[in-house]
Amino acid sequence: MKYFTINAFVLIMLYVLCSTSYAARIEISAPGEQTIPLAMTRLLPMGVGGAKPAVVAEFQEVLQGDLELSGLFDQVDPASFLSDADKLGLRRNEIDFYQWRMLGAEALIKGGYSLSGGRLTIELRLFDVVTQRLLTGRRYVGQVSDVRQIAHTFADQILKSLTGEKGPFAAKIAYISKRTGHKELYMMDVDGHDPIRMTDHRSIVLNPDFSPTRKELIFTSYNKGNPDLFRKEIYTGRESRVSLKQGLNIGGRYSPDGREIALTLSKDKNSEIYLLGTDGTIHRRLTNHYAIDVDPSWSPKGNKIAFVSDRRGNPNIFIVDVHTLDVSRLTYEGKYNATPAWSPKGDRIAYARMDNGVFNIFTIRENGSDERQLTFGQGSKEHPRWSPDGRFLIYSKDIDGGDKSIWIMRADGTGGRKISARGGKDSHPAWSVHW
Amino acid sequence: MQKLTITGLVIFFALSLLVSGCAKKPADDTHGMMQETTQVEMEKNKPASVSETEVMDTSAADAAADAAAARAAERAAAKGLEQINFDFDQYVLTDDAKSILVNNAGLLRAAAAVNVLIEGHCDERGSDEYNLALGEKRALATKNYLVSLGVAAQRLSIISYGEEMPLDDARTKAAWAKNRRANFKVKR
Repeated sequence: MKYFTINAFVLIMLYVLCSTSYAARIEISAPGEQTIPLAMTRLLPMGVGGAKPAVVAEFQEVLQGDLELSGLFDQVDPASFLSDADKLGLRRNEIDFYQWRMLGAEALIKGGYSLSGGRLTIELRLFDVVTQRLLTGRRYVGQVSDVRQIAHTFADQILKSLTGEKGPFAAKIAYISKRTGHKELYMMDVDGHDPIRMTDHRSIVLNPDFSPTRKELIFTSYNKGNPDLFRKEIYTGRESRVSLKQGLNIGGRYSPDGREIALTLSKDKNSEIYLLGTDGTIHRRLTNHYAIDVDPSWSPKGNKIAFVSDRRGNPNIFIVDVHTLDVSRLTYEGKYNATPAWSPKGDRIAYARMDNGVFNIFTIRENGSDERQLTFGQGSKEHPRWSPDGRFLIYSKDIDGGDKSIWIMRADGTGGRKISARGGKDSHPAWSVHW
Repeated sequence: MQKLTITGLVIFFALSLLVSGCAKKPADDTHGMMQETTQVEMEKNKPASVSETEVMDTSAADAAADAAAARAAERAAAKGLEQINFDFDQYVLTDDAKSILVNNAGLLRAAAAVNVLIEGHCDERGSDEYNLALGEKRALATKNYLVSLGVAAQRLSIISYGEEMPLDDARTKAAWAKNRRANFKVKR
């Protein structure tokens, strides 16, 4: 089990002095606002141990993929690189910044690696070319198989030193796949690498959610005949039922502090939103209406919950205040709005709207203003969920008569790309916190 | 005396024919045979009393006929319970659905020993979670209507599969209409 060992590599922070002060010149907060011309050199061998081009290539591919997806950079064409790109020099006084300025680069990534006794060491630096300062420096030590995780972790660090907020790439995506013929729970890297099946229920497994505080997932399964809510500890593989009320126990979502679970129960012959303790006891009933109430999603402060209800006719998004139980309506446009996902930044709520049988993803402010359509074109896009930093959305895309898979895009709808492999009928992605 | 024994034997054979005649399924053969043995032992131990024999035979025949009728009703229910369909995003029973349920209720009332699981299903359009709730409302509407037609509520349980178990995977109006349904599984 590879994912059990991903934390095995050690993270050592170098140059603590420099890492806290990032250049005032480079300051960006959202994708699309401004891009930084970035030069990314290849890892060079350091000290003892032979060269390992496969490791270099894999590292390069992963880091490049993450940085491209971030939308924060314009990558300087490596074909134009000059002699400094082939020098290992990782200290600022060893670097010929003039060369990089000539190429128009404002940020520069340099790095070296060594392999000894199966242990992989990668040293990385991010420089501000204009001020010739070190923005961040990291040394990672791990196994050769950790190279992708190291690249993702450094990508997160690059975003942190340039924007003040860590990236979401060293994380896991949980999702549902029908690859075996049954819907089962799977987990993979943020770039779709290394998918692993987590359940063997041979029944119907639905709609996972990560605990924000523990390496744990909740999901619904028909394993015991009724749609019950299950919890699974990822490292031990231990599984138990959290809620097994008669009828639906579906759409479970951990509260931002991880102490409660919002979900839909239909034990009283109608679907309503409830709050449970993590032991499965009912803390509170949040809705009380004969209509359908499903799909809860917490606000980042944990004081409100967006949900879907057809109490005014068609399915629409509503918001309930967890303390006062006041309900307000969020969406008015369209005839079918579902699967709300509240941004961890708090500013917007994403959801899927169906028009002529096709779903597209929209976002809207909490006060109902500034509704924006993020996806267009062929195929149904559903089940939007945010990355923990609110920069990206992950969703499922079902191309008519073709493939159903997991996609990622930026929060403004640009940069959409497919991440899960063909043929899985994949759906219901969820993005973990930093792994 | 001899004549009576012969009459008894004839009745016995007629009975055993009746019993084995009902047991068409191989799984029920042992059951039929057990009844036969019991019957033989009863014949052996029976005191030679005319009136007693006649009373016993008559009531046994009635019971067997009743049992046969019950089994026939059970089979009829298992085979005859028809699924019903719904309009898009609706759990209100259509007139067609109601007339099917009237027939289903008749079958269920005749087969009092039969318990039924009502499954609510949706077409693939719409959100999964919403459809799970909708499928449950469909199953519940179906159950409530059957109860109103005199079927005991405790014989009817419900489950929703939302859009998870379509009958037809095609993306056509006809397939969607087929998939929006409540169907019946006989529980033994």
